[in-house]
Amino acid sequence: MLINTGIPTKEDLAKVDPSAERLAQGPVAIVECFQEIPCNPCVDACKRNAINIEGDINGLPIVDFEKCNGCGVCIAHCPGLAIFVIDKTYSESHAVVRLPYEFVPLPEKGQLACALNRAGEELGNFEVVRVISGGAKNKTTTIWLAVPQDLAMEVRSIKAPNSAPNIQNSAPGLQSSPTDTLICRCEDITLDEIRRVIADGYRTIDEIKRVTRAGMGPCQGRTCRQLIAQELSRHFGIPMEEVLMSTFRPPVKPVKLGSFVKGGDL
Amino acid sequence: MINVEILIVGGGPAGLCAANAAADLGASVLICERDEIPGGQLVKQTHKFFGSRKQYAGDRGIAIGDFLLDEVINDPKIEVMPDTTVIGIYEDGLVLAERSEEIIKINPRKIIIATGAAEKFLTFPGNDLPGIYGAGAVQTLMNVAGVIPGERVLMVGAGNIGLIVSYQLAQAGVETAAVIEGAPTIGGYLVHASKIQRLGIPVRTGYTIKEAYGDGKVEGAVICRLDAAWNMIEGSEEDIKCDTICLAVGLTPLTELCWQAGCEMAFIRELSGHVPLIDKYLQTTNPKIYVAGDVSGVEEASSAMVEGRLAGYSAACSLGYGLDTAPSLQAGAMAELDELRAGPMSDRIRQGVEKVEKMVTKGGV
Repeated sequence: MLINTGIPTKEDLAKVDPSAERLAQGPVAIVECFQEIPCNPCVDACKRNAINIEGDINGLPIVDFEKCNGCGVCIAHCPGLAIFVIDKTYSESHAVVRLPYEFVPLPEKGQLACALNRAGEELGNFEVVRVISGGAKNKTTTIWLAVPQDLAMEVRSIKAPNSAPNIQNSAPGLQSSPTDTLICRCEDITLDEIRRVIADGYRTIDEIKRVTRAGMGPCQGRTCRQLIAQELSRHFGIPMEEVLMSTFRPPVKPVKLGSFVKGGDL
Repeated sequence: MINVEILIVGGGPAGLCAANAAADLGASVLICERDEIPGGQLVKQTHKFFGSRKQYAGDRGIAIGDFLLDEVINDPKIEVMPDTTVIGIYEDGLVLAERSEEIIKINPRKIIIATGAAEKFLTFPGNDLPGIYGAGAVQTLMNVAGVIPGERVLMVGAGNIGLIVSYQLAQAGVETAAVIEGAPTIGGYLVHASKIQRLGIPVRTGYTIKEAYGDGKVEGAVICRLDAAWNMIEGSEEDIKCDTICLAVGLTPLTELCWQAGCEMAFIRELSGHVPLIDKYLQTTNPKIYVAGDVSGVEEASSAMVEGRLAGYSAACSLGYGLDTAPSLQAGAMAELDELRAGPMSDRIRQGVEKVEKMVTKGGV
């Protein structure tokens, strides 16, 4: 499912794909945007008013495939990089997939690039037939990749030039050794220590701070305060809303005494 | 002592927009920004923003930061004090800030707190091994300092930050072994998830990190499946080799100054932590203090910018500026916020905002 993996299913795609007849007529934009989020630059990008959203800014984009001429301006304007243009009329054997690309170095026209599907699986090396710069401000490049006709609706990315070699994860057989769980990084206070003082009867963040120094370091409790509150909530079975917060006093970060002595512009 | 009409704490998207809005109405503004360069998190956002044109959608975060900063710098009514941390707000309304080990006293008539949020941390054995970072910290390291964190990353959390940072790691040539997410579904925008899946980075929902291991630094992590009640499933452990672990498990509002200033606070889970109780003009229960951005509930940067404008108009208006124009500007900003929050992805935010509204009507927690 898309919501679990980020990979659209056939059913998702069926909602946004143009008909086979429209694809056969020439280049056309496909907006693979399936979630109502507050976003509408695609609407502004299309000079032919072929992209519209329903209702308010959260509506899904809908492409009018009859108005769309496949110019591809929208590709580099989608903040989600979800727009592709497919041209099945490129040649008898090949279609062109135009896709957004934000990696360097850029491939050059005539080079082969490794095509990837929506799950990042390699589909083979195909020719880059055009590279269109998005300009100094936009910075999203549009890559035209000529792929076999049957892969036109599969290819949605190319492999980044500098991607690291795939290191295999080892099977379980873990080499882990018992280690501490830290709560306060500044003062080096572990979860065990926090639990021990709670068991000893300390039951507020301020009490725990005074007895362990948790929260007295450079970050002044920014990290550990919430974690201690969560532990108190868990231990006493009370909601976070009812955990007594600590007292907040200036300064919010450690300041040298010398700074106060100098006094500034008192 | 610096006397100023409106002090803005934090020069991120909310603070910069607040400054512009307040100055537009005629108020004089001072921004105290902790960092050398204002812009907040925008300075490292290399991806294009969502939203509509009114919130600069389609532009990259870094460009939006530059643009907002330009407006601020060119406005004679706004002074920016970089490298300056506000360290306290006292009962009498006096503010102390620190710059280069010097203490500065500020006496503002109104304060807009726009301090943003901080990354949450996770408890698991080995969570202090070198090589474990907040995902936002890795974004700063790469996109601001130009340093990659390692060669192979385990990303914990599939919200927008986890997904976006995984993509940016790939752009920097760093491999992401997997993005794991404890929840059964992806929390961030699905287009971000699709974008990284296409690059071969697997997104695995229903998984958490059980422990990190390594001799003096991260050498790997053990992940395991979670059941519907978020309990680890015995026997589902898997070993992931990595030298870096990024925690992208959410943000929590940075509210220390609100607490100090005596604003009434409440824990609102939907807004990611304790937040100040505010009215629709973003005024807290301390009439001198307004808030904008993540400090009053963690949300997208687009909302933070609109809230900034709203707080700026409100604070300036309370000082008598723009009495004729402010109401319609405020109404416009509120309508923009409503629109941004109208979708199903904002269900939690809407519930959180409603909770706050109810508490305010009831007169407190």
